[in-house]
Parts: sequence; structure tokens; C-alpha cells
Amino acid sequence: MERTHRLELFPDRSVTLLLFQHVKNAAALRKKAMEGSIDGALISPAMIVDPFQVLVAANKAVHLQKIGKMKTRTLYAEIIFSLSPSNNISDAFKKFGISDSDTAVLIVLIVDGDKTVNLAEIASQVEGQQVSLDELPQLTDTAKVKKMYKVTPQEEKIGSLLDSVVCRMSTKDVL
Amino acid sequence: LRVPKRYRHPALEERLSRRRTAQEARSLLRCRRAGIPAPVVYFVDYVTNSIYLEDIVDSVTVQDHIYSVQKSGDDTSSFHKLAEKMGELLARMHDEDIIHGDLTTANLLLRPPTEKLDLVLIDFGLSFISGLPEDKGVDLYVLEKAFISTHPDTEMMFQALLKSYAATSKKSGPVIKKLDEVRLRGRKRSMIG
Repeated sequence: MERTHRLELFPDRSVTLLLFQHVKNAAALRKKAMEGSIDGALISPAMIVDPFQVLVAANKAVHLQKIGKMKTRTLYAEIIFSLSPSNNISDAFKKFGISDSDTAVLIVLIVDGDKTVNLAEIASQVEGQQVSLDELPQLTDTAKVKKMYKVTPQEEKIGSLLDSVVCRMSTKDVL
Repeated sequence: LRVPKRYRHPALEERLSRRRTAQEARSLLRCRRAGIPAPVVYFVDYVTNSIYLEDIVDSVTVQDHIYSVQKSGDDTSSFHKLAEKMGELLARMHDEDIIHGDLTTANLLLRPPTEKLDLVLIDFGLSFISGLPEDKGVDLYVLEKAFISTHPDTEMMFQALLKSYAATSKKSGPVIKKLDEVRLRGRKRSMIG
């Protein structure tokens, strides 16, 4: 159900994504995330068009962590920040992190090498149903994503929404 | 369905400085937002100054395409349409004030199937943003020289390209004028220095 990918550029790290629906305790989860008592990034699935988008964010976050140039204080915060097309950290959290009223949550974990992840532990903290990542497209709010990433109509003609999103994510510090 | 490749093909050599890397990334984004086909940027590494780009799978360069069509003795009338499309693409790029900086037929890819003439611009390592007709004229001049030296018997092609460019670009007048001037000078340098 969950999916794990090794980061091609950082083979010593893997990224695991877990998706939950019908979540009842988003507020509590968000609080835990803010306190740092959840070991993962809690992301709003509505803003995610494809797991690749998360991988790109994770790749950038891991890279910045390795060179000591993260803009936020933790790796998981950095992943959320990397998803955002803006350079404003709190804005990134507001838009890409989960909100108290969310009923779907995407949890991203980064694991070192072959260390086994205790998925059950994370999952047990969520009052909701874990579903397959295949359900993600149904949870995406395409209109919101387009607006957030300022996707132009011309851009849509030459590539997918994912292309536009990833391009914006990866070049935001250049602008 | 084009599956995005994960972080493959670092398209940039490490000798590029940070500024050039930033410029290239900026140009690529600018192109895409204007609907000008260029590879998607997946990741920019400012430590090694590498840009990880989308791999345009099974593409051929326009250069190779011209070679193979000429070699196989195929009908070269398709070149006219190709030239028109090139002119159109470059006009749109220049209208966004994007100067490619290294226009050659090796920096233009054709997605499969080739007959569709689906062009993609690559290698923006020398690109910059400029509204000056001189810079655009030089951009075209570089391509013209590349055409002449790499592809014999293609004078008509470049003519068709320019015609299409002029028809597509709203600002082509001064650009073509500058191109003529640069041709006369025989160099690709701005006299403003």
C-alpha cells in the first residue's frame, strides 16, 4: 500500500509515502508535527499531483541537509518547504502542510539505507484508513495546484501538470 | 504517456559557474512558462553546478535528422515545413526576450515520431534575457552560420526559417535588420561592444 523509493542521487536514503483517508484527528496530528513528535512530513494530498513531486522535494531537502544549507530547521520541514513555489516558509506550511480540517493525509518518511521503518507505529497515530497511493490522483485539487504554482495555459500545452509543478519547485531559488 | 525520468542526465558540465547555472535554469523555466518546449528542470545542484533535466526519450537532433534525410536521398521538401516550425519556435522564444546563445541544429531536438516535427530546444547554457534586436539578430546569425557550415545545400531552409520567424514574431522587423547588419560585418559582435 505504501510506496518506498530510493533516491537516485542519494542511494543511502529511501523515501516512503503513506496515504490516509477518512482521517479524524488531523488537528492532533498537526500539533504533533509542530512539536516534532511525529517522525515524518505531514502533507496535504490535495496539493500533490504525483508521488514524483514528493520525491523531487525530498531529493532537494536531503541535498540541502547534506551541505548544511536547509532553510528550515528539520528535514521534514524542508520537504514541505521544497514543495512550495514560494520562498516564504510559513506560507509553505499553511498551503502544503495539513490543516486541522483535513480528512486526508500524506505522510512522508525518509529512512537511512536499510534501516527498517516502523510503519505500524506511524500508522497507529493516525485515526484514519491507510489507502494505496493509487488513490492519490482522486485527492488532488488540480485547480488549486494550478493556481498555487501559477501554471500558465501555454505551459499546459507542452507538458503535464507534474512537469509544470516540478519545474517551478526546482527553480524557485533562482528567481 | 511520457514518464518523467528520475533525476537522470545531468545536462550540465561542472565547469559552469553558479551564475551560468542560475541563468540556464531561469531560461528553461521562462521558456516553459511561455509554452516554449524545453526540458523540465528536476533539480539544480549549486554545489557542482549541475542541472538535472528531463530526458527527451528517443529524440533526434535536427542536425542528425537533416543528415539522415539527405543521406537516404529522401524527399527534402519536408525540410521546408521543418524550417517553418523552427522559425516559428525561435520567434516565440525571442518574443519572450530569451536569447539562446548557442543556436545550432544540434541544440534542437525532434520528439518521436519525427514526422510530427515536435521540436524541443535544449542547451541553454549560454542563454540570457534581452530585449535588444541586436542580441536576437546575433542569435539568428549564429544559427545561420551553423547551418551553412554543417548542412550544405540548405540555403532554402534558412530562408524559410526566417520568413516564418518574421511572420510569427511581433518584433521581427528590427531583428532582421540587425541580422542583415551583422551579416555585413561578418562577425557576431555588437559594435556597441
